[in-house]
Amino acid sequence: MATLIAPPAADLDSNVIVKFEHVNKYYGTVHVLNDICLEVRKNEVLVIIGPSGSGKSTLLRSINHLEKINSGHIYVNGRMIGYYERNGRLYEESEKNIAQQRAAIGMVFQRFNLFPHLTAMENIIEAPMRVLKLSRENAEAEADRLLKRVGLADKSRNYPGQLSGGQQQRIAIARALAMKPSLMLFDEPTSALDPEMIGEVLDVMKELAQEMTMIVVSHEMGFARAAADRMIFVDDGRIIENSTPEELYTHPQEARTREFLSKILH
Amino acid sequence: MYHFDWAVFWKYLWPGTALQDPLIRTGLIVTVVVSVVAQLVGVILGLFAALGKMSKIGPLRVIAEAYIWYFRGTPLLVQMMLLFFGLGVTHIYNFPDLHIGAIVISGAIQAGTMALAINEGAYMAEIVRSGIEAIDPGQLEAAKSLGMTYGQAMRRIILPQAAKVIIPPLGNEFNNMMKTTSIMEVISAAELFFAFTQVNARLFKPFELFIAASFYYLALTTIWSVIQSWIESSLGERKSVQRAPGFFQRVFTFKGAH
Repeated sequence: MATLIAPPAADLDSNVIVKFEHVNKYYGTVHVLNDICLEVRKNEVLVIIGPSGSGKSTLLRSINHLEKINSGHIYVNGRMIGYYERNGRLYEESEKNIAQQRAAIGMVFQRFNLFPHLTAMENIIEAPMRVLKLSRENAEAEADRLLKRVGLADKSRNYPGQLSGGQQQRIAIARALAMKPSLMLFDEPTSALDPEMIGEVLDVMKELAQEMTMIVVSHEMGFARAAADRMIFVDDGRIIENSTPEELYTHPQEARTREFLSKILH
Repeated sequence: MYHFDWAVFWKYLWPGTALQDPLIRTGLIVTVVVSVVAQLVGVILGLFAALGKMSKIGPLRVIAEAYIWYFRGTPLLVQMMLLFFGLGVTHIYNFPDLHIGAIVISGAIQAGTMALAINEGAYMAEIVRSGIEAIDPGQLEAAKSLGMTYGQAMRRIILPQAAKVIIPPLGNEFNNMMKTTSIMEVISAAELFFAFTQVNARLFKPFELFIAASFYYLALTTIWSVIQSWIESSLGERKSVQRAPGFFQRVFTFKGAH
């Protein structure tokens, strides 16, 4: 049937939250995502490492369709992201449907991207009120709970400009969690932070990792060892190695992985 | 030697006596009201033209670009004549006088205001666009990642931030607008400059009268400068945005007009 949007349920194990099937993307002649196949299961924490320009951020951002893809399929919770298929061709979903899909996927950015004209509280309740149509009372109650959870209960009235980088990133995590996502994406969440603030953000992420499905682009070895179930090494748009953090750090199978690790672990 | 007519000069310079002349009184009101209305409509048109120009939809982009291209590329005087006389003579549209209670808004005032607004929209479009483009693209991405649509992200996230960038040049546009309303004289819209030309036709004292006229425009733009400084400094308070220029700097510094 031409009206099929989601693939037949039998294709996917319901425990698979994210699935990449032969995903390709090009920037001009550069093959940024090269035949990516990947599965992330419920409550799994996946850490992605790779040199800059390897395609690791593009891979992450394609999961909530901030990046378009040229071919292949990406499914989140069994539903194809950003596209529907008709007669074997992919068509981009309507803006409204894409927005709806994104609402269930939390994202945390390298540069926090808090809304500077809104207080911490307003940053958190904006989308729950506008997108999930929550009442202000309910949204604020949930926001208070989340602010407590990230250790910033006393900062609800502060503007982002009045907060440190570490505090801003924790607010950004609370903002993403307020949408009750089934999946959290982190795009180098600590690389814009001063060293002394990295710990407070990683602590929040480690705690979150106990109960959430997470995909994290990060070179923080401490976090990967403590929280990741699996790690992939991406280079030249390909997944070069896919194993556990312990295996990948101590016995990398591929020469390129070893070479890369020797550069970042000094 | 020219005999300067102090009596006429003082009569038309001093508001207490000048505003007793119904021509001048009405002219002043028309100039202020037309400026405000044309500027407001211009901002709205500019917003839509800016969004159109940045749209992913090809035809919208073409329409917006054609609009900006034409109205920035031709003289306002020509646009106004075309709108008022051009549409009138072809019977495409004759601007009829509008009666609202005891107030009559002449067709010329309507056409003039419309021409000013449409022309202003083309300039505002560029100002709004540069304001939106000054906002970090990460803001739109964050809004999208939270499930907001483009419209929601614009209204709630991007435009409130862009407003801070847009408001200072918008204030300068309004300063220009109050002076540019004088162009409506060519279609005999009863604004301030037209009023002075009418008085001059009766008295033939162009030197005295147009100095007096300058005084009124200077008063309007100076009052606006004060309001503008006040708006900008209250906007700048919460953020560490660069402080708005002070009153003296604003009044006595030359700023190019279009």
